[in-house]
Amino acid sequence: MNWLLIFAIMTGALTLANAQQPIPVVKPATDGKVWGALVYATNNAKGFVGSNEQAPADFADIPQRLGKVFPYQRFEILGQHLQDVFREYESWVVPTKDLFLKVDSKGPAEGGGMNLHLQFWRDQQVLVKTDAVLKAGSPLFIGGPKWREGQLVFVLVLQK
Amino acid sequence: MKTPSEDHDLIRWLDGEMTDAERARFSTRLAADPDLKAEVEMMQRMSSDLRAHLPAEMTVPYGDFFNSQIQVRLAQEEPLIPEARASWLDWLRLPTLITATAAVAIAGFMIMQKGPAAGDSVVLSIYVPNASVHARTFHSDEAQATVLMLDGVEAIPADRKIVGYYIERTETDQEVATTTLYGKSGEVVLVVSKDVRNQPRLLSATPRG
Amino acid sequence: MPASTAPEPGEVSDSDLVKRCQAGDTRAFDVLVSRYRGKVYAMTYHMIQNETEAWDLSQEAFIKAWRAMPNFKLDSAFYTWLYRITHNVTYDWLRKKKMHGDGEFDDSRTEHRVAAGAEAVPRNEPAPDIALKNAELGKRINDAIAKLSPEHKQVILLREVEGLAYEEIAQTIPCSLGTVMSRLFYARKKLQEMLKDAYENAL
Repeated sequence: MNWLLIFAIMTGALTLANAQQPIPVVKPATDGKVWGALVYATNNAKGFVGSNEQAPADFADIPQRLGKVFPYQRFEILGQHLQDVFREYESWVVPTKDLFLKVDSKGPAEGGGMNLHLQFWRDQQVLVKTDAVLKAGSPLFIGGPKWREGQLVFVLVLQK
Repeated sequence: MKTPSEDHDLIRWLDGEMTDAERARFSTRLAADPDLKAEVEMMQRMSSDLRAHLPAEMTVPYGDFFNSQIQVRLAQEEPLIPEARASWLDWLRLPTLITATAAVAIAGFMIMQKGPAAGDSVVLSIYVPNASVHARTFHSDEAQATVLMLDGVEAIPADRKIVGYYIERTETDQEVATTTLYGKSGEVVLVVSKDVRNQPRLLSATPRG
Repeated sequence: MPASTAPEPGEVSDSDLVKRCQAGDTRAFDVLVSRYRGKVYAMTYHMIQNETEAWDLSQEAFIKAWRAMPNFKLDSAFYTWLYRITHNVTYDWLRKKKMHGDGEFDDSRTEHRVAAGAEAVPRNEPAPDIALKNAELGKRINDAIAKLSPEHKQVILLREVEGLAYEEIAQTIPCSLGTVMSRLFYARKKLQEMLKDAYENAL
């Protein structure tokens, strides 16, 4: 491990320690709010990992909608994240440490919704970068890597 | 000990920034000072190695995508000249843009299977750094969703346990460029920062599962 | 001046393309991007040594150039103007990284303390047996450049890669001629210390 990495980890650790302290926070301006989830799609009940996560009421139909696109019978939410999209700063949507999304706002889209720059990360590796227009009620499904007997799918929805 | 001006003489000689008269004087000094001569020779050699190993021009990865991405961004910019809007900006509006971008996505391949309706999310451009991964995008009417499918991504090992979070709130600290993620009970779950290579570093506080 | 990628005979000149850009023609800008992206990318890559970030910063440089196009009076070559923009974008990025306390570029404060014979090569790097073999030396040079402060990296690359004269470096940064000379001297001194063992073993 080189010293730069050690330094980065130490900086993170200090920040984590500081995060426990109540410090005054100035909330940056936001352009909207997104819900992100990592979903495990599978046909095999044994492959089910036993998560009890439920989607918020607004997005309760997401598993059924996933079933219209991905050839699996069961869709289990492994993790989820409700995130403000900051106007001038990057936002992170991290339902799991394994697969997560960096979101940069590029402002409101014509006719509603948001222009976004997205980066889909797997650990330290960026899998895809994309510019997208996200509209409320029209989720984006990112078909990700296979895992066990199924597939991991990242869901991103703009909150109304 | 050398003075700053002597240091400057050394590099000015090296970089050809001296007048003829200065150059002649410095050459006389060089001939009389073996240490200075050795230092100059080493610096000369180093300069030549730097030039040899740092090319002034390099191939841009995914060059065509590089250009198309700039065009995508220009289309989102305000026109340089307002009155020019009708003559050149309109043709770059969304449907054409999607088609143009689709045509030049080099890293993977993307296919818009149908044009988007006004209320549909849409993927405008795709960049996939890993050449073995292919990306395609389409809209599913049945699911009322936009899909970005990544094919060829290396599978996650079956024995890897995926720990999920339930993040409800975040705080961002611009001073140290970190984001703190909080869970359902207001507990710190994760801190996201970036390392010196600008890659994300995720530090868990209370992993579940 | 940096060697410009002059258009081939029969190709549209940079100044004609610039005029078309100023009239709002994005396709003319696309031609300029194709013509100079390799140089812009090389400059950013040498400064930050990260392929993904260099790619993104090169994009930023071109976007900034597009935005600044109405103010470009064609009083210098297009590439000279473009590389100033590129340089500023990259240098700002490095400065921000430094302000965020990465700790990577901390040699600026040692500029007047570089002593002959000072240990500057990390001790965990073995002395190379075949130090001046090209690939090895190339890696050592890149590693050494990466360890320079943004200010030192800047002058070295402008001089050695872009081939700028001192006066042009001073205008680009901008700073005084004396500062250019001091920074160049100490940047080279620092590099010399870091590469010292490679050269000594080769002699």
